[in-house]
Amino acid sequence: MIHLFLYAWLAGQAGNSEAIQHLQAGLEARKQHQVELEIAEFRKATESDPNSAEAYVNLGSAYLEKRDYGAAIAPLKRALELSPDLPVAHQLIGYALLAQGYSAEAIPHLQRVGALDALGIAQLETNQLTEAVSTFTQALAQRPGDPDLLYYLGHASGLLSKDAIDNLLATHPDSARAHQALAENYYVLRQMPQAEKEYQEALRLRPELPGLHLELGQVYANSAQWPKAEAEFRAECKLRPGNAEAGYRLGAALLQQGKAQDALPELKRSNELKPEMPETLYSLGKAASLNGDSATAERAWLKVIELEKNTSLAAQAHFGLAGLYRKQGKSALAQHEMQEFQKLQSTIGPPRSE
Amino acid sequence: MHRRLTRRDFLNYAAMAAAAPIFEIKPLRGIDFLLQNSPTPRKFLIETMPGGVALFDYNNDGLLDIFMVNGGRITESLHVPENFERSNPRYWNRLYRQNRDGSFLDVTQAAGLASAGNGNYGMGVAVGDYDNDGNADLYVTSYGKNILYHNNGDGTFTDVTSKAGVAGGGWSVSAGFFDYDNDGRLDLFVTRYMEWDSDHNKICGGDWHTYCPPNAFPATTCLLYHNRGDGTFEDVTERSGLAAKKGRALGVAFADYDGDGFTDIFVSNDGMQQYLFHNNGDGTFTECALESGVAFTADGKGMSGMGTVFQDYDNDGRPDVLVTVLPREIYSLYHNEGGGNFNYASLEAGLGTMTSMSSGWGVGLEDFDNDGWKDLFVAQGHVLDNVQDIDASLRYRELPLLALNHKGRFERADSGVTEPLAARGVAFGDINNDGSIDAVISCLGGPPVLLLNRGGGTNHWLTILLQGTRSNRDGYGARVSVNGQTRVATSAGSYLCANDKRVHFGLGSAEKATVEILWPSGVKQILNDVRADQFLSVREPERS
Repeated sequence: MIHLFLYAWLAGQAGNSEAIQHLQAGLEARKQHQVELEIAEFRKATESDPNSAEAYVNLGSAYLEKRDYGAAIAPLKRALELSPDLPVAHQLIGYALLAQGYSAEAIPHLQRVGALDALGIAQLETNQLTEAVSTFTQALAQRPGDPDLLYYLGHASGLLSKDAIDNLLATHPDSARAHQALAENYYVLRQMPQAEKEYQEALRLRPELPGLHLELGQVYANSAQWPKAEAEFRAECKLRPGNAEAGYRLGAALLQQGKAQDALPELKRSNELKPEMPETLYSLGKAASLNGDSATAERAWLKVIELEKNTSLAAQAHFGLAGLYRKQGKSALAQHEMQEFQKLQSTIGPPRSE
Repeated sequence: MHRRLTRRDFLNYAAMAAAAPIFEIKPLRGIDFLLQNSPTPRKFLIETMPGGVALFDYNNDGLLDIFMVNGGRITESLHVPENFERSNPRYWNRLYRQNRDGSFLDVTQAAGLASAGNGNYGMGVAVGDYDNDGNADLYVTSYGKNILYHNNGDGTFTDVTSKAGVAGGGWSVSAGFFDYDNDGRLDLFVTRYMEWDSDHNKICGGDWHTYCPPNAFPATTCLLYHNRGDGTFEDVTERSGLAAKKGRALGVAFADYDGDGFTDIFVSNDGMQQYLFHNNGDGTFTECALESGVAFTADGKGMSGMGTVFQDYDNDGRPDVLVTVLPREIYSLYHNEGGGNFNYASLEAGLGTMTSMSSGWGVGLEDFDNDGWKDLFVAQGHVLDNVQDIDASLRYRELPLLALNHKGRFERADSGVTEPLAARGVAFGDINNDGSIDAVISCLGGPPVLLLNRGGGTNHWLTILLQGTRSNRDGYGARVSVNGQTRVATSAGSYLCANDKRVHFGLGSAEKATVEILWPSGVKQILNDVRADQFLSVREPERS
């Protein structure tokens, strides 16, 4: 792309004839992939016409082609001295400087030409994390799904998050948020007793903080302390009655304890708050089935299948429906659902307990 | 100095007595057994799987004796063909005879049970009187060859494996005697875990270096031997249809779940679906776990099936199934709904909260408090000896689970065990003949643990010793109902173990009982006004 641009740009330029000859010879060498000859010719062009920005740009470009980024910088700098607005020179020197680790120096050049991917990397390397996240987001809007950009955006976001947490811990170590952050870290590391302790301290400091009860409940759920989990999820529901996840978690905790009757309204409420969540619908079906509410169970599980189609949750819904129909004496339907369950098992593998 | 007992003191003492655990740990006087599983850095999978316990009365003196299955010596240089050096006495299986004073005497050598075969690494044990001579015979499973010991009736046993044709091979685990064709002779079922040998062992867990999960090895079939009645057995695994289903079987339990008069087989498989082999009554079986609702959890998920028990927990007269599993699963309880259908009932029964962080092996549904409801006891301990390094919320050694049954819902109770165990097998029986069920637990690398039931409550009990005539002499497979409770007569179930074959019932406050026995022969026997608190011998009527 850059090469095409150079050809087009050069066609409109003229210097002394000797320089032009060398430039043309250099371009010919480039076509033949003879990079050393290309460098020699462009160097001669710069010697023949020391004021030819195009000769320096091409020499720099040739060095870039050779991956000799260090050697590319000087001719590109000279090109910009001669022609400060030359976009291609800004782009190439931005790349060269970045490749050599001079990220801060590269940034203005890359900004000038809008080379977003390289600019994002330069910002990442200079710890301008907020800017990097913004740049990668813009770049992804232009090239959605690009794996490199997705990686860099994730990486930058992670570092930004860590930065913020480090800052929080350094500046407000005794705050509820600091304890919450530590708790989350322990949770990820599966160090549940420490996570529990930090969450409890956070709650002591700010009992009304949204999300804390929910997260502490998950710590208890993870270690199968279901009554405690239930209490935390219930507290979160009280604090945030409009939060669908809290309702779902409470319903699931009640189900685990065999309290299907209590679980059913919670799961119904969660489903109303945020409809079409497959996990909620699956648990709702389970609670309804245990309560003998076959119609609700059937509706919920059919919806799961509609939403999920070929996932393990869909397989579970088919399995649940098979049991439901079997109990109702609907043998043909039960058999059909069991076949669908088995079909999914053979394609996605048998579901295992967590 | 004596002080007068005040009312307050009395209430305090009463409260303390009420809170006292059902069991107390009693030293097994005369028992010096250590279960030699021989763990190595090579993490051979067999190391973490033994060992069996049998509670049976081998000399018919009315006292339960104890047989312990040992593992064997494993070295890091182990290769096929493996030699586990069972000739050293520390690796022997052991038979301990109970003395009148409750102590035990090691009679292994005198009984002719010292040799376990150097190529065999011991696993489990089954007990049954396969030749109907009135003496309990022993079948010992192994990785390697299994051994059938015939009880000679004079305190000695003879290895009759070769003549009987029941050596099996591969990796056998739990086994049980039952009479699948109701011909009055006990047949033999043997679970096998997987296709494994020391040359094909694998180590998993990356840097953690752990035992591999079961799906790292190919599945295999169980074995069914038909008793010909002449001291020999025929391998009918293929002919019966059982060979069509490969699994990773660890536990087995028997019951006639659909009341068609033929004993069915439930097999707990590790890391996959469970199997229910319906007895077709013509010598063949049909695997129907999926159709019957006992293959998976309520969520259609496979499970790490380990031990199993097939008894009626809710006193509706139909045998239910319970399977012990690994953590982050829930012990699976399948309620028998009748008509050949089961319903996953773990959550309603209260097992969701109680069991989701535990690793269960041996299991029993026994009425420990004699209140008329079968309680749950599970021997627990994780498979991986370094699990705590991998997941800080789990433990290699665990306390056993005792859960009392309150009209079909289980609630955790204090088992009396205070030190966590690497428990595997557990066998149940009334060791001191006091009318309360006791337990013996096998523990990897350690001595067995005897949990002696304190008993002493006001509840009554009845224990029945069956003697079949047209049916098999042990009466295995008989459906015994007492005051609305039902038990299937069997010594099988749990994991690797054989329970006291006597059929025990708690009677609550009832001082009399009505006993109904449906023998495998089809004979129905009713005994009215049976006095409570006795060991009752019942002989099957010769003619109906």
